[in-house]
Amino acid sequence: MDCEKVRDRFSSLLEKELTTIEEKIIKEHLASCSECKRELAGFEKTMQWLHSTNEVDVPEGFLPELYKKMEERKKAFPVKKMGEEWFRFPLLLKLPAQAVAMVAIVFLVLYLTKTTPMENYRVKETLPEPSPLSTEKKPEERLLIPFESSRPKKSEPADVRSQEKEREQKPQEEQVEGEEKRTETPSEKTEVMAHRIESKDRVTATLPSPEHETIRKEGIAKQKSIPASKPLEEMVLRISDRVKAISQIHEIIKQFGGEMIRTEDQLLIVSLPTSSISEFKKELGGLSGVSQADALTPPQQDRVRLRAPSKPVREEVDERRRELAGKGTDEPRTVVRILLLE
Amino acid sequence: MKASPRVEKELIERCKAGDKKAFEVIVLHRQKRVFNLAYRMLGNLEEAKDLAQEVFISVFQSIEDLKEEIKFDAWLTQITLNHCRNRWKYLKRRQYFNSESLDDPIETEDGNMPKAIYDPSDNPETLYEKKSIQELIQRGLLRLKEDQRELLVLRDLQGFSYEEIGQLLRLPEGTIKSRLHRARMDLKEVLEKVAH
Repeated sequence: MDCEKVRDRFSSLLEKELTTIEEKIIKEHLASCSECKRELAGFEKTMQWLHSTNEVDVPEGFLPELYKKMEERKKAFPVKKMGEEWFRFPLLLKLPAQAVAMVAIVFLVLYLTKTTPMENYRVKETLPEPSPLSTEKKPEERLLIPFESSRPKKSEPADVRSQEKEREQKPQEEQVEGEEKRTETPSEKTEVMAHRIESKDRVTATLPSPEHETIRKEGIAKQKSIPASKPLEEMVLRISDRVKAISQIHEIIKQFGGEMIRTEDQLLIVSLPTSSISEFKKELGGLSGVSQADALTPPQQDRVRLRAPSKPVREEVDERRRELAGKGTDEPRTVVRILLLE
Repeated sequence: MKASPRVEKELIERCKAGDKKAFEVIVLHRQKRVFNLAYRMLGNLEEAKDLAQEVFISVFQSIEDLKEEIKFDAWLTQITLNHCRNRWKYLKRRQYFNSESLDDPIETEDGNMPKAIYDPSDNPETLYEKKSIQELIQRGLLRLKEDQRELLVLRDLQGFSYEEIGQLLRLPEGTIKSRLHRARMDLKEVLEKVAH
């Protein structure tokens, strides 16, 4: 057995864990190897010193100091913090829990945003509503693509601009032609502006404000002075240019033998012969926003229709206007409240 | 001083219920063992005192988690070793031991003492006071690797069995024996260096 192997067994020799044969071999080696013998002596001395070490006494005041520390900790952390237990959990549990919480938050946010007043309004908007302004329009088609129609088409602004240019070039022609267009379909600009009306405007339009209520009352009071007047009718008119629209409405009222009772900021109160109400509404419909059905038609078609209204229709309308204008003021009249929305 | 296993179990159960008197008895029974383990691992009386107190605070705070009362001592030793490892790392980072060498005066219960010169051929009882040998051993222990020191302290100073050490360090008995022998030989070499 070489010296290295003998020295590796010093601990076993000391603790008497060697077999008798191993012990005999090592002792034989030690008897012949002075180096290993010296090594063993040093090892035994080290072990002797190690085992001779006494335990050190605990310093005085160990326990009172311990209690003091415990009290200090208690004061510093009187109760367990809310999240303390959470921080003790391993990441293996915490991460999935956090992920689930995040997903739940996202779904909650989506749910809440879906049922916000704005969304409610949008839902309402998609419902078919009886439009007093357009009799030619198809509200069913409006339901199909409610949001598409609310976006202004890219081609539309160009059309509007070209139309405005045309108007500038031919102002007189425009005046005559504009009226004719309104009988068929409203102008494209009006259409675009009408579609840009936001929900806020809508809400204010549908909810009668106290101010409007007083105006309505005043209108009714005035209406009382008018013989055989019918109950009040209401209309909402979407316009792009207020001044222009008012002047156009004035003209239409005159054509139907009516009179303007009152003009407020956004409210017009008009008295008209009852028989001409439906025609008057049609006429006003031309000024107002078009139905969704019209908005869905390709812009080219609109342009064709706007530029070249059929001649028989134009003549028919003019004839009807003359008829209505010819009628006397004796017939029963109806007060119409027109709310203008820009 | 340790009570019978039945009394020990009762004490631990009372301590779990928050009985401070029972906790005090447990501290008094084990404070010397915990303090000495800490002192041999850290080589500083003040640090050992602080650490032993921290160990007992940890015991009081987490004794509810102890499921088997019979393993209380092993659990306590494990807590002490963990505290010692953390404290050693902290002190090492702060280079607490770097300024010291075997020639430096060493701290004892009575204050600093001059170094002891190692000579295996001499009789330590006649040449040096026993205390100085102990301190020399302590100094030598601090020169060893942490795991070697742990083994020497647990086996040769604290008297743990190989089985207990195996459970504490989660090592097989054979590995413990070979590593322990290596640690003893290294300590011998460290002490011999001082002599020459």
